[in-house]
Amino acid sequence: MARYGMVFDLRRCIGCNACVVGCKQENSLPDGVFFTRTLSEEYGVFPAVNRVYIPTLCNHCEDAPCEKVCPSGATYTRDDGIVMVDADKCIGCGSCAVACPYDQRTELDKKSFEQGLYGEGELTPFEEQGYSRYTPGMVTKCDFCSGRVDAGLDPACVVTCPTDARIFGDLDDPTSKANQLIRERGGRAPLPEKNTRPKVYYVD
Amino acid sequence: MATHDVPIVGDSFQVGYRFQRYWDTPMANAFFCGELGAGLFFVSLWFGFVPGMLTGLLITGILKTYFHISHMGVPMKSWRAMLRPDRSWISRGLISIMVWSAFGFAHVLNLWFDLETVLGFGSIISGLIKLVAAAAALMVMTYQGFAISHSTAISLWSSGLMPVSSLVYALTAGTFLTLVLGWNGFLAEQPDKLNLLINGALFLLVVIAVVLLSLLHGAHHGSPGGRTSVELLVKSLYAKWFLGVVWGTGLILPALLLWAASGSYAAVILAALGVLAGYYAYRVLIFKAGVFEPIMSFRP
Repeated sequence: MARYGMVFDLRRCIGCNACVVGCKQENSLPDGVFFTRTLSEEYGVFPAVNRVYIPTLCNHCEDAPCEKVCPSGATYTRDDGIVMVDADKCIGCGSCAVACPYDQRTELDKKSFEQGLYGEGELTPFEEQGYSRYTPGMVTKCDFCSGRVDAGLDPACVVTCPTDARIFGDLDDPTSKANQLIRERGGRAPLPEKNTRPKVYYVD
Repeated sequence: MATHDVPIVGDSFQVGYRFQRYWDTPMANAFFCGELGAGLFFVSLWFGFVPGMLTGLLITGILKTYFHISHMGVPMKSWRAMLRPDRSWISRGLISIMVWSAFGFAHVLNLWFDLETVLGFGSIISGLIKLVAAAAALMVMTYQGFAISHSTAISLWSSGLMPVSSLVYALTAGTFLTLVLGWNGFLAEQPDKLNLLINGALFLLVVIAVVLLSLLHGAHHGSPGGRTSVELLVKSLYAKWFLGVVWGTGLILPALLLWAASGSYAAVILAALGVLAGYYAYRVLIFKAGVFEPIMSFRP
């Protein structure tokens, strides 16, 4: 069984946020809800100033704290390592949201579903079709586009990225590009001191 | 490890500390009412004070439930919160609240209507009901502290002192409310119990001060995120509330009132109001000052 993960090549990311838009479209996310973000940071003193872009999404941790605290059993890990949220079981208590060190959980506010993307109280056919997979009020997150993965495709953010800064693959497969990048360029996990064993790595 | 110089960035697409915004005032209200009710019940149980026990059960049963439901995103499925006691403190807490409510009301009914004699069951059964009610109340007083300390995401919360602070605050609020409710009742006839409660209240205020100082010290030296939270509480955004209400109104004022005028009912009421205000402010501020650390930073 594969153990899916993702690698971000920080040398390649240009901060265009195409991944964010691709994710929102693929997952029909309401206004203000993001499963992935590209954060920016400026550092240094003029004239030696630098800017770096740091993409973020759910790290699908091996030891997922969100799964441990979920009181309803809504959060679970698939055999291939993708951490999922069952929309039928989530009660929207938010315990997963305060347990995730990476702040990657998001509450789907009921108002967003009622007002729609245009805020006029009317949903477009695109929204009607997309929102059916969620329960208003639930707390959810990125699932590596599990439907696409099951169909043998890469997540939407990966195929949208114009610079190949996002690499998705089986972390246990030594021939996968993700595995090779981590080995060759020393992939580092975010906040390793939290002991969550993320399956998302950064190389720079 | 994040560096301390990273700014607080709110919800923007920048690297920095982010406030946790998922558990806010309704959840703080629920925590406050749950611990307050359980604390009042536990102290009243110790003194056999039935009105206090009943009030405690009602505070938790009605107010805590209301605030939890108002916070819940999908309230119609809230019963599912009890399904994972093997791993979730919320599940354990919900189950303990149900056990406490059942056995607590049974104990109150037993004391009120002398069911032991009327129904003819032995004192062992009565004692067992009382013991289970006390144990479940103890659990309700502490589980919320375990629930937030269980997570390592927010450094301020990730401390073994969180359940201790829950327990001590619950017992203190319970002691002050028992003093207020029982002043003209059983305490008027039993000055030894009155003295015990007043001395106990003073002792608990000192314990709270020690626990809060230890909590702040641990968070400040634990991680950059913890240090940011502590600075929010004692130096910047929330300092006037934390120092003024949690410490001034909630600890120092009640201690002075009890020390100087413990024979005055008005002073005891004022001290109790101060303790409740400080306790409530503590509950709200602990949530508001919780921050997520930046996942990584390239700042030198």
